[in-house]
Amino acid sequence: MALLKVKFDQKKRVKLAQGLWLMNWFSVLAGIIIFSLGLFLKIELRKRSDVMNNSESHFVPNSLIGMGVLSCVFNSLAGKICYDALDPAKYARWKPWLKPYLAICVLFNIVLFLVALCCFLLRGSLENTLGQGLKNGMKYYRDTDTPGRCFMKKTIDMLQIEFKCCGNNGFRDWFEIQWISNRYLDFSSKEVKDRIKSNVDGRYLVDGVPFSCCNPSSPRPCIQYQITNNSAHYSYDHQTEELNLWVRGCRAALLSYYSSLMNSMGVVTLLIWLFEVTITIGLRYLQTSLDRVSNPEETESESEGWLLEKSVPETWKAFLESVKKLGKGNQVEAEGADAGQAPEAG
Amino acid sequence: MAPVLPLVLPLQPRIRLAQGLWLLSWLLVLAGGLILLCSGHLLVQLRHLGTFLAPSCQFPALPQAALVAGAVALGTGLVGVGASRASLNAALYPPWRGVLGPMLVAGTAGGGGLLVIALGLALALPGSLDEALEEGLGTALAHYKDTEVPGHCQAKRLVDELQLRYQCCGRHGYKDWFGVQWVSSRYLDPSDQDVVDRIQSNVEGLYLTDGVPFSCCNPHSPRPCLQNRLSDSYAHPLFDPRQPNQNLWAQGCHEVLLEHLQDLAGTLGSMLAVTFLLQALVLLGLRYLQTALEGLGGVIDGEGETQGYLFPGRLKDMLKTAWLQGGVACRPAPEEAPPGEAPPKEDLSEA
Repeated sequence: MALLKVKFDQKKRVKLAQGLWLMNWFSVLAGIIIFSLGLFLKIELRKRSDVMNNSESHFVPNSLIGMGVLSCVFNSLAGKICYDALDPAKYARWKPWLKPYLAICVLFNIVLFLVALCCFLLRGSLENTLGQGLKNGMKYYRDTDTPGRCFMKKTIDMLQIEFKCCGNNGFRDWFEIQWISNRYLDFSSKEVKDRIKSNVDGRYLVDGVPFSCCNPSSPRPCIQYQITNNSAHYSYDHQTEELNLWVRGCRAALLSYYSSLMNSMGVVTLLIWLFEVTITIGLRYLQTSLDRVSNPEETESESEGWLLEKSVPETWKAFLESVKKLGKGNQVEAEGADAGQAPEAG
Repeated sequence: MAPVLPLVLPLQPRIRLAQGLWLLSWLLVLAGGLILLCSGHLLVQLRHLGTFLAPSCQFPALPQAALVAGAVALGTGLVGVGASRASLNAALYPPWRGVLGPMLVAGTAGGGGLLVIALGLALALPGSLDEALEEGLGTALAHYKDTEVPGHCQAKRLVDELQLRYQCCGRHGYKDWFGVQWVSSRYLDPSDQDVVDRIQSNVEGLYLTDGVPFSCCNPHSPRPCLQNRLSDSYAHPLFDPRQPNQNLWAQGCHEVLLEHLQDLAGTLGSMLAVTFLLQALVLLGLRYLQTALEGLGGVIDGEGETQGYLFPGRLKDMLKTAWLQGGVACRPAPEEAPPGEAPPKEDLSEA
């Protein structure tokens, strides 16, 4: 009992082949889209690798790029097959290759689905690398003279301006690290000396933030220094002041950016996966209906196409049997050789 | 009447003309599309930068005119594609015969006129940008502190975002901020002696400082940003005089915006010029093709040689013919007599 049998006459077969040919070429376009999505994500991750400790996983963009290339290759091949399917002579050439090709297509579809799932699930690892990377980035903010880290100040400043965020989890992170280089501290000033002495590690900590934390929407000029000291500024209460600095932490901001990027890529990949599954099903019907054309000369005859020759459990049993036979095949040959030798000996 | 600029067109050159016209028409479609994109982009940019241009500035007329001209060029290109395709196929040509004439007139008058207007605007308007920016930026800077005045409350945010995005400070340099009160009086402590002194020492009662807003800060500077007391060289020890420009953005917003907008207008202008050339070629080619095929009576594959021309006669002759035809149409009665006389004479001669 075949699975989902459909009757095909000549016209229907021709229409199926033509439709599949068109769909395959659209699918090549879709493969290019997946490739460019993967490339875009890779470039975006590379751009901010400084604040990700250079240890971020590029699994998602790499797999998208790979899937895009494979999709282009498979679908252009399928397009060629569909084009030749209407010509019996040309189709005879492809006939022996079609079954393995369809098996590969099914495998490809499964992998594509897994890649689409990965787009949604892999944001957790990104969160960790971002947290670590931002912490280190802020630590090296003041090292503008150290080769290898001199760019960190610029990177963090541009990041905070672009993503409208401040610090790792909030602006108070800046109170805990020394972000002003010793080179620009006036050690003859009493205030500086007092601060450094009062700190256990001898660091110069201030309740101030860099200028890139400032929010342009604030009605008053930005208050960067002595943020927690209400008396230092006229008509200022740091508990109620919300517009002065960016409230969001950069880790949350970057995570939300990359999450939305990967989510939309996952949705697009899922839609393309559905398209590919449709194409594979259509190709299967074309293959089975063309194979069943009893007389190769009489192309006008009706034939049946199906997804599976027998029902699912029977097909699975037959598959297992063929696997066992492969295993037994070697044994039978060995026994046959022994049996052959025994009569000879005997 | 001798035709103007005739060109003999046997079958093969006609086919070549149609094929070349098809290619040129697709190029025209592409150019029209690019103009649509470019003027759309310029319009979006102007929407963001509108506050920094004086309200009397006419510059937004340029992308609007270019948008319409681009759409007409696109339409002309598509007509050219269709007509040149049809002229190679005998079954498709007859419906085009009647339509082509009026379309050519519309394309020349409408499309050509629009393109010339847009080109003229592209050449003339960028000159007015300088004054408009001067006035607009001056107003924006003056209203920076007015975050509670309705109508100007967005000025601070817009100026800050402008300086951050375009990497500039002030109008022509950071010192412009020294001449403007950019700290709102609401946040000035009236009991602070320094504030009172500053306000009293100023003729207009403004609170002027030698400081700049945070958006002027340059992230490339190796030291944390110095925003206050910039004219006092003793205020910031260890300030490296060899790197004065790294602390704040060196460029003024006027120069940056002027260059940006003039570049965009220049690109748009050159694309308009190319489209004008393409459109002229396409319209000329279509005219020659049309007149050549009319000479054959609309039969595409006629092997005979025909002439293509621009105008059937010189302008004076055409006007005279048109005048005469108009005059004849207004004299119905005398027309009847001469034909009435001729047939009786013929009968007599036959008989």
